[in-house]
Amino acid sequence: MSAVDPPTLASSETSGRSRRSIMRPDLFQAVLWALILTLCVVPFVLVIVISFGQKIEGAAWAFGFTGANYQRFFVGASWPESTTFLYLNRLWYSVYYAVIAAVLAVLTAFPFTWFMTRMSRAAQSRWLVFLLATLSLSEVFIVMGWDILLSNRSGLPMVLRETGVTDWLKVTGWFDVLREWGMANPRNVKFKTSEFATILTMSYLVWPYAVILLYPALSRLDPSMTEAARTMGAGPWTVMRTVVLPSVRLPLIGTLFLLFVFLLGVYVSVTVFAEPAKQTLAVSVYEAVRGSTLNAPFGAAQAVILLITGGICLWLGQILVNRKGVTA
Amino acid sequence: MTKLNRRTLLKSTAGMGGLAAVGSVLGTPLIAQSRSLKVGSYGGYFENSFKEFVYPAFTEATGITIESVTQPNSADWLVTMQQASAAGSVPTDLSLYARDALIKSSRIGELVSPLDMTNIPAASNMEEDFLYEDSTGVIGVGAMAWFTSMVVNPDEVDTPASWVDFWDSSRFESSLGLSKLISGNLLDIIAATYFEGAGTFDTNEGILAMVEKAGELKPNVALWWTAESQMEQSMKNGDVVGGMYFHDVAQLMAADGFPIRSTFPKEGNPIGYGSWCLSALSEKADEAAEFINFSSDPATQALMSRKIGTAPLVAQSKTDLTDEEFSFVSGTPAIQPAYEAYLDNETFIKEAWDKMLASA
Repeated sequence: MSAVDPPTLASSETSGRSRRSIMRPDLFQAVLWALILTLCVVPFVLVIVISFGQKIEGAAWAFGFTGANYQRFFVGASWPESTTFLYLNRLWYSVYYAVIAAVLAVLTAFPFTWFMTRMSRAAQSRWLVFLLATLSLSEVFIVMGWDILLSNRSGLPMVLRETGVTDWLKVTGWFDVLREWGMANPRNVKFKTSEFATILTMSYLVWPYAVILLYPALSRLDPSMTEAARTMGAGPWTVMRTVVLPSVRLPLIGTLFLLFVFLLGVYVSVTVFAEPAKQTLAVSVYEAVRGSTLNAPFGAAQAVILLITGGICLWLGQILVNRKGVTA
Repeated sequence: MTKLNRRTLLKSTAGMGGLAAVGSVLGTPLIAQSRSLKVGSYGGYFENSFKEFVYPAFTEATGITIESVTQPNSADWLVTMQQASAAGSVPTDLSLYARDALIKSSRIGELVSPLDMTNIPAASNMEEDFLYEDSTGVIGVGAMAWFTSMVVNPDEVDTPASWVDFWDSSRFESSLGLSKLISGNLLDIIAATYFEGAGTFDTNEGILAMVEKAGELKPNVALWWTAESQMEQSMKNGDVVGGMYFHDVAQLMAADGFPIRSTFPKEGNPIGYGSWCLSALSEKADEAAEFINFSSDPATQALMSRKIGTAPLVAQSKTDLTDEEFSFVSGTPAIQPAYEAYLDNETFIKEAWDKMLASA
């Protein structure tokens, strides 16, 4: 911007038209490409380059060209003496949590948004403003809140104990079943750490996004279509299944994909609510890069694989959607 | 965030008095109007206490002003310093490194300078263990120590006399909070409790045996914590009734009325300590030496124990700490972590540990 001389600046302030004519399209293109290059391509390439770097045992790492980090991802560092699928396991949990939490969020957000679009304009705006406001809550804040809500002394376990549900569970024998599931200690039920808490928090985290993404499609839906279907004798479920859902199929699937990609990288919820045996690749990447081993190359390799996996999932999803689209 | 929690807590009850002792100990201030030094320390209450109590005493004694720099911790700071050194300008003259980060910086090379020990006579008050020497000379002098201690909720369970009790599922099923980080010293506790101490780390078989022993704890662990605030909250909430935690914070939580007891079982607790290290690009070697000399003085060590809650690196007899004050910050026996082995074999240990946690 410093290259712009004062007269140009002045004219651009006075008239948007003159500015357009001064800013030549090829210059604009060049600036755009420079931005894309520095903000997207360079960091990307750096990560890929680092992923081929060499770990120096006991120190940090150095640039290099080795496939050892990728090999380690699939079979472990001690291969061929011993093989471990530790990192594939982490990758599996990344995808697993992201899919379930995204589906749950869309499943619950869809009916909510549907009923919201049937409300008065004023009520709709109030809800939208409220939901937009909740987006300002960071992941850390949300996790903290759920952490308290699920805590033994201040949360749900306390409620269950005080209302006598815990005692009832103990009498009926369900308590021992919960202990086997890891959802209770000898004193009370517990929700941390558990898949339940992890998925719950992740769904909660993206829920407002789901509503905001579904809202435009649902609110634009022409009411005369559903009314026509109703007058022709279709029940509410049939209308939902044959009229509403097909017409918002694309936004619905788009939302699902977006939430899925967003959730692949979730870190705080997983570190706090998932037991170490069920943690994700995002946690593993962080531990490699910022943890005491200072193994950025291995972290980068894991990040690249996570990226590729996300891409493959989206691609498979796309194929599935297209095929359905043809048959429908 | 983490440090803030921990240190805010420390602040509420930390020590009483002690500043007076320092002024008298150190010699005449040097005439040095414009001398200054940039010193790093872990942010939050820890750094604030340094700014409030330690640095002013130093400035009063030597005339050298201190510019305090916030470090997030040792490991992250090492990454920062590595990048800063490559760029040719470092944010601190003196950094505070835990022992493992110190060794690591020595192995990476060209990050820290050897210290002129003739200018640091007070370091002789410390045990040799706290002076770290590599091929270039002494590159780290101990600053303060801390213990990772056995803690229990005395309202819920009896205090164990040995770490062995934590393996007893009839007492601790789904009830313990242990450090998930390999650097959290659980393996050192296991080495001291079930094996031949730090020597067990010398072979891969020894490491696997210890990791397997750690795996036997899993049914009893409700929380594998990475940030100390997680453990703090879980002890307060009753999500866990025991585990491992920092001795100093546990003492302060107990003083605040929370149901937590920090105890030294018969095998002891792992000790960790921070060292002052001079950045290779610093031009303030003389000022740094004066500061380290000041920090090594028994009076300053006692000041830090009272004000920050850290354990002194000099014998209690050399300080004016009372038995009560001393037991508030320290205890015996101390388990020495196998620092070198963790680094020599870090990929293997880390992966074995992660496999155990993931049951993969």
